[in-house]
Amino acid sequence: MPRAKIYGFLAVIISALLGIAFVYYAFIRFDMYSSLHFSSIDTGAYWAVTTPIAIVTLFILATGFWVGYTILTIKVAPPMPEIVEKKDNSKFKAFLLCLVTAALAAWFVYGLLNHYYLAIAIPAACITLVILGMVFWVGIAIITTRSTLKKDK
Amino acid sequence: MKICLLSYRGNPYCGGQGIYLMYVARELAKLGHEVHAIVGPPYPFPIEGVTYHYIDNHNYFNIKDFVKPHKPFATLEPLNFYEFTASKFGIFPEIESFSIRAYCKLKELLKTHSFDIIHDNQCLGYGFLLIKQFGIPFVSTIHHPLTIDRSTWFEYPSSFFLKTKRILYYPLVMQKYVANKMDLIITVSHDSAREIYKAFGVPLEKQRVVYNGMDSSIFYPIKTKKRPNSLIFVGNVEDRKKGVIYMLKALTLTKHKVHLTIVDGGAPNRNYVPKWIDKFQLNDRITFTGKIPLDKLVKLYAETQIALCPSLYEGFGFPAAEAMACELPVIAATGGALPEVVGQHNKTGILVPPRDPYALAQAIDYLIENPGVRERIGKAARTRVLETFTWENAAKQMVKVYQEAIDAYRGL
Repeated sequence: MPRAKIYGFLAVIISALLGIAFVYYAFIRFDMYSSLHFSSIDTGAYWAVTTPIAIVTLFILATGFWVGYTILTIKVAPPMPEIVEKKDNSKFKAFLLCLVTAALAAWFVYGLLNHYYLAIAIPAACITLVILGMVFWVGIAIITTRSTLKKDK
Repeated sequence: MKICLLSYRGNPYCGGQGIYLMYVARELAKLGHEVHAIVGPPYPFPIEGVTYHYIDNHNYFNIKDFVKPHKPFATLEPLNFYEFTASKFGIFPEIESFSIRAYCKLKELLKTHSFDIIHDNQCLGYGFLLIKQFGIPFVSTIHHPLTIDRSTWFEYPSSFFLKTKRILYYPLVMQKYVANKMDLIITVSHDSAREIYKAFGVPLEKQRVVYNGMDSSIFYPIKTKKRPNSLIFVGNVEDRKKGVIYMLKALTLTKHKVHLTIVDGGAPNRNYVPKWIDKFQLNDRITFTGKIPLDKLVKLYAETQIALCPSLYEGFGFPAAEAMACELPVIAATGGALPEVVGQHNKTGILVPPRDPYALAQAIDYLIENPGVRERIGKAARTRVLETFTWENAAKQMVKVYQEAIDAYRGL
């Protein structure tokens, strides 16, 4: 097997294992119901760990809100009647997007200030799993890409 | 003068940016300046007197098979991995990553070269803030602000998902921020300058208008028999700001049965328009040529009676100027800078309001019925292009802008 494919398999296996391990230790094995707060962690350590997560989370939620707000408020010329096929409900969906992102941001900030475990664990899981998912995707692509031409080509 | 041009796409067949780079670099070299160009793929053709420095890019946004067999792990490199991830979320990261790579390339080049000026071609990525730290005067050409592309896209009914994709696609926040950090902004029309002010807040005093040129050695009239009732449109039919849908509607309203030739990027780039051709029952009146060589395009212009430019907005409008250079009467919408290029109504072209298929149809009928007017307008159009839009003039004006930026930097 070509070396690239071996590394491709490694990327897939390692990213999958890390993802599973993250979910297992952060949400399944960890007893969230008996320890919903980071109460025993030093304040400085808590903010050192949570600040990067907070920045990324709020940036993503703000981007979502901005997308919804732009769709809601953008002013454009009305389309030619002939090309309107069905009712455009994107403004309603944009309003929902604004509402959901604002609510999530409020819940996140509240949870962050009150040291709630899930307020940190869920965004951390999303960020980690997206990155691992991308590595997994690259690994699959390396495995499935033909490195040499077929003999008859 | 030692000039370093930056262009994230360098090939003239990839659009207006590549054409701009090619002619600006060539004319500046002809004027005796030392010209270097840092370019991203697709790369330009070699030009005498211009030294190219190539920057790699995996084009994750457009290419599905992103793993290169000879470089299987390239995607896991930090900048590539960012590009890959961002493109999977609908963001167009090529501009930003080019600016960072251009910074690295410039840092390397400055060990052996010195530049009097750096001139960007509508990239405006965050990496330019790092380039500013080199202390070299830095100007940028903005052909038109991308806010126009976004809003014209929104004029057409589309789903929430598509609208979200469009918002994420255009790097407007970054371009607005970086545009305001440049020493001077060069733009290609007075209308574009106003739009840049509106969209990015760059004051008009910080902008200089340098009209694009037109290569009259490529685009010239050929004496040949013209096909009756023939029209031509050159441009990307999927670009919503080209106003193609209004042009199709106009074809259903003309008194004369006209035939339209569309010169576009080819079948893989057509999704939206064929549906409307079917709906308007225009299949037997429209021919798509796909991508064709320039000599064939000039021949097509020669065989056609009228050129159409129904754009809702154009920062300059190369297709209008090309057709005019070929002595073809142009019917153009008054969107953006087209009136600046086309000139006076009924003298050097016919101007109609944008988004008005009825006015467009009326103008087509008027020119079909009046061959004398077609000929008069065609000749006046070519004269206008030859007098106003030459790359030599553009390069000379650009050098003046460079000098102004250099003097301001030196505190002269």
